[in-house]
Amino acid sequence: MKSVFDFLGWFPENISTFGGELDALFAIIWWVCVGIFFLTFGLMAIFMIVYRNRDGHRGYNYHGNNILEIAWTILPTILFAGIGLYSNEIWEVTKYSNRNPKPDVEILMLGKQFTWMFLYPGADGKFGRNAYTDRTARADMSATNPFGRDSLDPAGADDFMVENQFRVPVNANVVVRGSTIDVLHSFFLPHARVKQDVIPGTWMNIWFNIFKTGKYELACAELCGSGHYAMRAEYQVLSNADYDAWLNQKSAEIKGMNAGVAEEPAAADTTAPKSM
Amino acid sequence: MSTEAIAHSPSHEHVHEEAHHHVLPWYRRYLFSTDHKVIAKQFMLTSFIFLFIGGAFALIIRWQLAYPGKPIPVIGALFPSTWVTEPGSGIITPEFFAQLLTMHGSIMIFFVIIPLAVGMFGNFCIPLMIGTNDMALPRLNMWSFWLLPPAGLIILTGFFTPSGYAAAGWTSYPPLAAQTGYPTFTFTGQTLWLIAVFLIGFSSIMGGVNYITTVLNKRAKGMRLFDMPLTIWAIFITAILAVLGTPVLAAGLAMLFFDNFLHTSFFLPDNLVTSSKYFGGGQPVLFQHVFWFYSHPAVYIMLVPLMGVVSDVISTFSRKPIFGYKAMIFAIASIAGLGFIVWGHHMFQSGMNPLLGTTFMLSTIVIAVPSAIKVFNWLGTLWRGNIHYSAAMLSALAFVSMFIIGGLSGVFMASAPVDIYIHDTYFIVAHIHYVLFGGSLFGIFAGLYYWFPKMFGKMLSETWGRRHLFWTFIGFNVCFFPMHVLGLGGHMRRIYDPNVYDFLKGLHPMNQIITYGAFLLGFAQLILIGNILYSLFFGKKASRNPWHANSLEWAAPPHPGHGNFDSDITVYRGPYEYSVADRELDYWPQWEPGKAISIHHHTIAVD
Ligand code: HEM
Ligand SMILES: [Cu+2]
Ligand SMILES: [Cu+2]
Repeated sequence: MKSVFDFLGWFPENISTFGGELDALFAIIWWVCVGIFFLTFGLMAIFMIVYRNRDGHRGYNYHGNNILEIAWTILPTILFAGIGLYSNEIWEVTKYSNRNPKPDVEILMLGKQFTWMFLYPGADGKFGRNAYTDRTARADMSATNPFGRDSLDPAGADDFMVENQFRVPVNANVVVRGSTIDVLHSFFLPHARVKQDVIPGTWMNIWFNIFKTGKYELACAELCGSGHYAMRAEYQVLSNADYDAWLNQKSAEIKGMNAGVAEEPAAADTTAPKSM
Repeated sequence: MSTEAIAHSPSHEHVHEEAHHHVLPWYRRYLFSTDHKVIAKQFMLTSFIFLFIGGAFALIIRWQLAYPGKPIPVIGALFPSTWVTEPGSGIITPEFFAQLLTMHGSIMIFFVIIPLAVGMFGNFCIPLMIGTNDMALPRLNMWSFWLLPPAGLIILTGFFTPSGYAAAGWTSYPPLAAQTGYPTFTFTGQTLWLIAVFLIGFSSIMGGVNYITTVLNKRAKGMRLFDMPLTIWAIFITAILAVLGTPVLAAGLAMLFFDNFLHTSFFLPDNLVTSSKYFGGGQPVLFQHVFWFYSHPAVYIMLVPLMGVVSDVISTFSRKPIFGYKAMIFAIASIAGLGFIVWGHHMFQSGMNPLLGTTFMLSTIVIAVPSAIKVFNWLGTLWRGNIHYSAAMLSALAFVSMFIIGGLSGVFMASAPVDIYIHDTYFIVAHIHYVLFGGSLFGIFAGLYYWFPKMFGKMLSETWGRRHLFWTFIGFNVCFFPMHVLGLGGHMRRIYDPNVYDFLKGLHPMNQIITYGAFLLGFAQLILIGNILYSLFFGKKASRNPWHANSLEWAAPPHPGHGNFDSDITVYRGPYEYSVADRELDYWPQWEPGKAISIHHHTIAVD
């Protein structure tokens, strides 16, 4: 069993490009803190033993020392400021919109009590008119049409929605534009080291680039009501070929449905390639 | 300003005029008393009751996390098949779970730590330690206490509303806390929560104004500001924080209350998809800014007074002057000042502009420096001391050590990119308990063990005091240290059942160990209660100055009556002259005449 004192051993496996940097930064702070811990606890333990009350002993009437005060003001300042400045570079890369990479894949995401909903632009890579692409379409948001999609826009004909699961290609810059239709939620991908609260009325840019294929979990990290704990989704990181195949298949499915053509029923999780 | 002058101050006369021959009816002595010591005890009793209510709630939460899906003892039998427990099984419901964690946090912060740290110690210590008969505004003081019991009843009444207790967390973020789906003018648990916390805020403001006035105007003859013990400095600065910060919270709560009760929409944006039709035009994140603008300073309101208390306890029992008295004051003052520009560190992931994240990260990192300064000065005080391990001292040392851990975990979260992963996980829960339980509550215990003889005229049992602290310390660390690890495993806070997630399954044994620690911690407090009750009835009578301490409260009789002092008080020196060379006694009370000079940070008695 891992020890409670080995903080670094408890992280779930990291699968995103910047995740490694975040973990490394955590490790730096961890080792700094381990140092400070042993310094302070060590001194405290020594003083507690050496200067315990004994007969004939007396305290030392001494009110302090300005040089020491200045030293232990300046040294921590330099140390902490260093951590801060170094952190800031990583912060900018992960969160500043103007430093986000160009998206390879763009997905819209909405939280609602207690479900995650995702809208894909489909095989054409373009969203039709909806609450994200056009502010005026927000008025059309409803329980049956949460994304406020305009069914008349041909660009949106192959846009499709999935619930409580989503898929992304491996080694691609994925940008999720996220919001919510009711209360605050937080989009938390523990393995990818992603966390971003989503706010009704605002679209957040969330980006990540995952280098490992597989099946992982998405959790809600912001208290959103009694079902908060179960606001869980799964996501799959697929090879590019598998991802394209899935995208094409879903787009075809939705187009067929829109056109009223009877399609063979395709299970949501089949990834079998299918021509458009 | 002599004590004689104080004795004839208007407030004093007023009280006595009303009292007719100095005998007050019982309800004026025990219930609606304006005596600061009685008010301090009232705060103590009320908050201790809430401490046990809040603690019981925490144990139910811990039960659910360690044994999800197992019926909860006692509660299950009390409320079978209601919304509190699942039909027929005695397992608590997710709804009730959310209510419990909300109430636990709110009670502990607003009804336990703040009233104890500020209300109890502020009231008890200020007049005694600055050598005066009472607060400057005794009537206002009485009211600041008397808002607490009604507020407590109101928040607890939430249970009987159709929605149950408030359930949006102690932070009560809208929209969750704002849209109720109930008709206008409905009292829900959330509405009552808002009213109650608003009242507590009022109590804080009244207390704060009073403390500031008293410290500035009623110090004993000869006492300069820099002759005040650090407890008083700390409470004084806390009072300034409370007076500046609380009105902002009150504004935020009022807006949220209007959203809730009158269906305005300060915090509800357009195009929500909900059953309620009252929304539009608001901004949810605004509430977070307003809330944390108060609540970050509030975490210092909960801690700073105890930093003062612990400084006094450590100095007394090390038989040494506090190391760097002025540095300690400046550190507190800068914590208080900087405390107003760091609130955004609670909002790194909230969706505010990440540029603000940079700003708040840098200011937060700076605020860790004065915290470090305080720790080094406490260590400096121990250095070359003659340390007596009384219960009060052990508790103060527990405070220092646990505060170090809490401060260090703060550094992780202060780094905005590191906070991405640990925000809203159990890492945060670990941090807040290291600073608020390990810090504030151990500080409160230290003060209680230290001043109990003065408060009640009886000695507490030192042996049982040590046992209490030992088990509390063990239980505390078993309970809260592993929470860091839960957080690193990704365990979200405020979740009802972690087993829903595959990636959390491996953490289940840890959750059980934490629950054992929590129960140990909870039951260890019975030792404290037993000790207090035993001592009140059968305890040894306290002498005037049992710890051989220097500050003015020890000049008063063991159980001071109305008016506090039985002799005139003049202050001749600072409160930390321990072990002055050439003096036989290793302490030199502030009120004892005598001259001294200071050479190279040493005090030397002359004549
Ligand atoms: C070295 C000094 C400290 C630093 C750098 C620090 C930093 C932080 C940060 C960045 C957070 C937000 C974390 C998040 O939600 O992701 C936080 C949360 C918190 N801190 Fe501290 N902190 C420090 C000391 C304290 C002290 C002394 C107290 C109280 C006595 C305190 C009480 C809290 C509380 C109650 C929360 C959680 C609020 C909530 O979300 O429920 N902190 N701290
Ligand atoms: Cu949630
Ligand atoms: Cu804070």
